[in-house]
Amino acid sequence: MRETLPAVPSLGSLYAAAAPRVLRKVASVAPGSLPDTEAYVESVRCSREQLIAYQRLMGDTVREELPSVLLHGLGFPVALWLMSRKDFPLPLLGLVHLRNEVRHLRAVTPDEELAVSARALGLEAHHAGTAVTIETSLFSAGELVWRGLSLYLAKGVRLDGVQAPTAPERAAFVPPSTTARWRLDGATGRRFAAVLGDYNPIHLSALSAKVLGLKAPIAHGMYLAGRALAQCAPHGTGYAWCIDFATPVFLPGTVEVNRTSRPGGVVQFCGWNARNSKPHFAGQVGPL
Amino acid sequence: MASSPSPRRAVIIGGNRIPFARANGAYIGASNQDMLTAALDGLVARFGLQGERLGAVAAGAVLKHSRDFNLTRESVLGTALDPATPAYDVQMACATGLEAIGSLADKIKLGQIDSAIGGGVDTISDAPIALSDGARAGMLALSRARTLKDRLAAVASLRPRDLAPAAPGTNEPRTGLSMGEHQALTTEKWGITREAQDELAAASHQHLAAAYERGFFDDLVTPYRGLARDNNLRADSTVEKLAKLKPAFGKNLGERATMTAGNSTPLTDGASAVLLGSEEFAAAHSLPVLADFVDYELAAVDFVSGEEGLLMAPAYAVPRLLARNGLTLQDFDFYEIHEAFAGTVLSTLKAWEDPEFCAERLGLDAPLGSIDRSKLNVAGSSLAAGHPFAATGGRIVATLAKLLHEKGSGRSLISVCAAGGQGIVAILEAR
Repeated sequence: MRETLPAVPSLGSLYAAAAPRVLRKVASVAPGSLPDTEAYVESVRCSREQLIAYQRLMGDTVREELPSVLLHGLGFPVALWLMSRKDFPLPLLGLVHLRNEVRHLRAVTPDEELAVSARALGLEAHHAGTAVTIETSLFSAGELVWRGLSLYLAKGVRLDGVQAPTAPERAAFVPPSTTARWRLDGATGRRFAAVLGDYNPIHLSALSAKVLGLKAPIAHGMYLAGRALAQCAPHGTGYAWCIDFATPVFLPGTVEVNRTSRPGGVVQFCGWNARNSKPHFAGQVGPL
Repeated sequence: MASSPSPRRAVIIGGNRIPFARANGAYIGASNQDMLTAALDGLVARFGLQGERLGAVAAGAVLKHSRDFNLTRESVLGTALDPATPAYDVQMACATGLEAIGSLADKIKLGQIDSAIGGGVDTISDAPIALSDGARAGMLALSRARTLKDRLAAVASLRPRDLAPAAPGTNEPRTGLSMGEHQALTTEKWGITREAQDELAAASHQHLAAAYERGFFDDLVTPYRGLARDNNLRADSTVEKLAKLKPAFGKNLGERATMTAGNSTPLTDGASAVLLGSEEFAAAHSLPVLADFVDYELAAVDFVSGEEGLLMAPAYAVPRLLARNGLTLQDFDFYEIHEAFAGTVLSTLKAWEDPEFCAERLGLDAPLGSIDRSKLNVAGSSLAAGHPFAATGGRIVATLAKLLHEKGSGRSLISVCAAGGQGIVAILEAR
């Protein structure tokens, strides 16, 4: 069932609307409990000011092409609207961002008017709770130009009647050689929010993060993805990319980064903490 | 198509530099223009070029104030050279000086000019400090504002954090790693030991000190602001003393960190200049001819992807230069491989000895091989002299040209690495 919104909702008001439900405890959800709603916005545009601000933020060259993470940011409020609805079974605040998988089908210019569609695809049992996949699609004059799947985890929430899988055996992370180092200051989250409008309190300040139970603000996953793509993604063409998040990057902080070229035009990247050798994220960019 | 005439020779007549000074020391208050003018003045005086109109003067600085948009021309106007001498700035990171000299030599060979001065200068003590991007954006918006409302909006856009100035660093913009951190990765990859690096550093100091002692630099260096010698020079440097220093780069390697302040070049202020000419120019002005500037080659590597080390480009430039000139790596009497870090020199030498690297990276049938280490950096190099980025090329060219002239025969090979994964190498031949 499609629900057409008049415009892209403001993330601030969505977070504010979700705030009273922070303390809502959800112990379990039913497998079929996701709303069968497609949230739809007919017209979204990225201003050149926002594009330039984004490219400057990521240390990228200013050019007439919308970076994939900026496209994600344009569609994200529509996905969040879906997730902040009362009939969305998982609590919005506290969802942990696990993974993004994106097919950026062709280069998109800032002149294009985009339509956004967001749907919740499914719930799955995770060893630490229940995970949900949100699909966001961007269309230009009816043509699908970008589609992304985002996987979020609601920790400690059981999926009724489904045996949670055991935690997978992960090989110990062995840090590769450093090819770049990102020094992220305490304002990194606020700067990202100023460009993308995503004022999620866990990224903004020490105080707002503490309120939500974090020892310090953490870097936005899409900021990390954007930095990685600014280094690794091709220009003037489509591409596919994905990123998996392991441990959060506390701000201020330093991320060691490696990128490695693989056959077939694939570039793998990962980031980790040099102090404890724990991985922050890993992903790759390659042809469609 | 008519075949072009074979180019004439470009010769090195002499050089001059001011002593190199450790940053924030002897040369505090001296600007790039002050120091470059001093180096040029000394060269003009030494070769009697007062009132002479030269073909061109090319020089540059790596760290440059925006007001120095015409640094070299402004410096020339401050010398005794004919003000009708044209000048231009070159900027290729630490390759600036050698690129300036090499391209001037090309102009001489092509007959476009008969004489030239190439060089470079850098100061850390008088480095430009910029406004932050936020402050700059606000102030530019203010200058564009036409109404009171726009002006107030521009002022209101300034944030307290914007007022912190942005000082230039040695971090690579695309990786966020300093040059030393990049070299630490390369040093580790090539398995260069702490001992080997400290030996190279000690030798650099001992060689430079010996060259000063025998008066080698008497006609290459002009005292400046109370300095007569490079003040980074430690004539009593030994491997034992260097072994006591703590690692400065690659600290995350823990026990395996090998790079210290002793085997890495310090930040330095200084300037250098080299006089080039055609043989006819030298003869007409009764000037000495030290060496031919034979050829030079640039290279760059993909360090951003991690495919190659930041400072390894000269390893790629040398085989191309050798092939073009029908030479082997062993056909030289002197080598100067710029000591950005001892690890840079040793990694480069090891790469040329490595069959796999030479086959896969350089596309060679056989490794370039090793060099006679007694011919390497025989009058010291940057670890002892210091390294005012753009001034290093001129220091090396003048030093090696004079070494060749003293010997009376032979060739020398110069190798200089640069930021941005670049490198420049050159061949000189004795006269």
